[in-house]
Amino acid sequence: MSTEALTLNNVTVDLGRQRILDDIHLDVSPGSFTCLLGPSGCGKTTLLRAIAGFTPLSRGEIRLGRRALTHLPPEKRETAMVFQSYALWPHMSVEENLGYPLKLRGVTRTERRRKVAEMLARLELSGFEERAVTKLSGGQRQRIALGRALIIDPPLLLLDEPLSNLDAAIRRSLRSELRRLQKSLGITTIMVTHDQEEALQMADQIVLMRAGHVVQVSTPQTLYQQPADLGAARFLGVDNTVTRTPQDPMGESGAVTFGFRTRDAHLDAPPCPQALIRKGRVTECVYTGDGYHVLIDTHDAELFATSATPVAPGTFAALQVPESALIPFGPDDRHLPPLDRHEDIA
Amino acid sequence: MTMSSQAYSLPAPRKRLPRIRLGVLLVLPALTAITLLYALPLMRSLVTAFRDGSGAWTTEHVVRAFSLYGRDMLFSMGVVSASLALIAVMSIAIAGYLTLGATPWAVRVLRWLYRWPLFIPFVVTGQIARSFLATNGMMNNVLVETGLMASSSAQSFLDWRGLVLTFAWKQIPFVTLLLAGAMAAVERSHIEAARNAGASRLRCLFEIVLPQAAPTLWVGLILSMVAMLSVLSVPMMLIAGNPTMMTSMMAHRITYYGDYGIANALGLFSYALTAVTAWFYLRLTLRREAGA
Repeated sequence: MSTEALTLNNVTVDLGRQRILDDIHLDVSPGSFTCLLGPSGCGKTTLLRAIAGFTPLSRGEIRLGRRALTHLPPEKRETAMVFQSYALWPHMSVEENLGYPLKLRGVTRTERRRKVAEMLARLELSGFEERAVTKLSGGQRQRIALGRALIIDPPLLLLDEPLSNLDAAIRRSLRSELRRLQKSLGITTIMVTHDQEEALQMADQIVLMRAGHVVQVSTPQTLYQQPADLGAARFLGVDNTVTRTPQDPMGESGAVTFGFRTRDAHLDAPPCPQALIRKGRVTECVYTGDGYHVLIDTHDAELFATSATPVAPGTFAALQVPESALIPFGPDDRHLPPLDRHEDIA
Repeated sequence: MTMSSQAYSLPAPRKRLPRIRLGVLLVLPALTAITLLYALPLMRSLVTAFRDGSGAWTTEHVVRAFSLYGRDMLFSMGVVSASLALIAVMSIAIAGYLTLGATPWAVRVLRWLYRWPLFIPFVVTGQIARSFLATNGMMNNVLVETGLMASSSAQSFLDWRGLVLTFAWKQIPFVTLLLAGAMAAVERSHIEAARNAGASRLRCLFEIVLPQAAPTLWVGLILSMVAMLSVLSVPMMLIAGNPTMMTSMMAHRITYYGDYGIANALGLFSYALTAVTAWFYLRLTLRREAGA
């Protein structure tokens, strides 16, 4: 089956009186990798389940290629989902788990065996056919779950936090393996995650969600450098905000607030004219492996900065953020477009 | 040094003895109850099945029990097997709908309704069945009055069919209760993964949910079988002539002839049947515990 585009129009989901998803519009191009990113409770898993057919829509439409999925039961949608808990059937062996979707499609036993062996080879788990799934490690289960989803050659792959139950090292290696596999198959993929690093590394397109709404849809680079508003910025690791003063750079941008990441604020950088500078008393200094995180109490805020050397609490220090690392926000806390574009519009 | 080592080694047995005695003391009430109320009567009835009037050992009771009541034994097994089959089918259907049903109000109504027979004793169930299944019973009356059946073709169901229906009516809720619990314990994502893979609800039930809940179904069926083999009121109320359930025949042998020998020989057969199923039951539970 060829990979297809997914279109969500006006998608709204209510649970009792509570609105879980509110008027979601989304276009996913064929063969792309899209991440639904957001804090827990933002509705990202509900959106994925709505696409798979497990959550009924109150309003709106879901289309996969030319087909309207909205009113189809889950078993008719031909979407392949990988569950957070893997959901491998414990009463079936690895081979039976992988072969079940094929069995449902009336594929003969010999053909099933061949396809399962092929998939296991692709997952680097050859010879695992007779194993009980309950005896597999977390990483192996995850791969079998992925193989079970992919074995029917689906037009759309849905991943519900597939890596969140694994430890950090396996997660990192599976991340790139999953991305490689997705690219080689060219399958349209939607993955739910709350891990911004995972989303930034894997996605072609990130959908940032908050409280049932889509806040921003953009490439990882744009999302990271130009988050739509202060809330989005904070979720993406912009942990410092300061009110702009006349001495600060980017005066012409109209910014009211600047946001910046801790790693861009330095205590020991040589003074530079085009930089934001704040002075204050050091209240805390923590070793982080590649340097020190220093908490500075300025007049109007507590700010984090990095330092190559330890700084004694109580001493006065000045942090400096280069202009390129400043993220400007307007009076409504929304991100201000970069100056060059600003001028174009003007 | 030797003195001190002796001093250490000597008190040990003295300390251990009272502990054993205390343990025995704690178990004693339960042990006595089991011995006096269960093991001794069981042994006595087993022994009586092989003793004649003068107290000599004999196999005559067993031989006579088989020759006189062989048909009843087969009848009992047939009724119990048919009931178990009906119970299994119905409880799978009800529990399956409770687990996979898509109409919330229908699931709620079914959940509320199906448990009722659990709270009705066997003797009342027997009475209800009598007035429902007799020739002039409610079932035939309704069928005749709605024009679905001619009054001339009305027949009594108070035979093996009545027994099967009554036993099933009483035991379906019990097995469903156990099975629905086991099915509810199957991870929701297992069902969703199957539906996502393309399985209809029915295939989900038989290929994903039921295999995972099957041990509980077996337990429910085994316990139902033991219950059906030990109920006296229902066969007494529903069936007038021969053949009938073994419990009925045992009661008859004791009440009218005072013949404990043959009654106990009949009991022996019930023990054998329940012992086999109890062995299955234990094997299942042990295997499940080992797997958990």
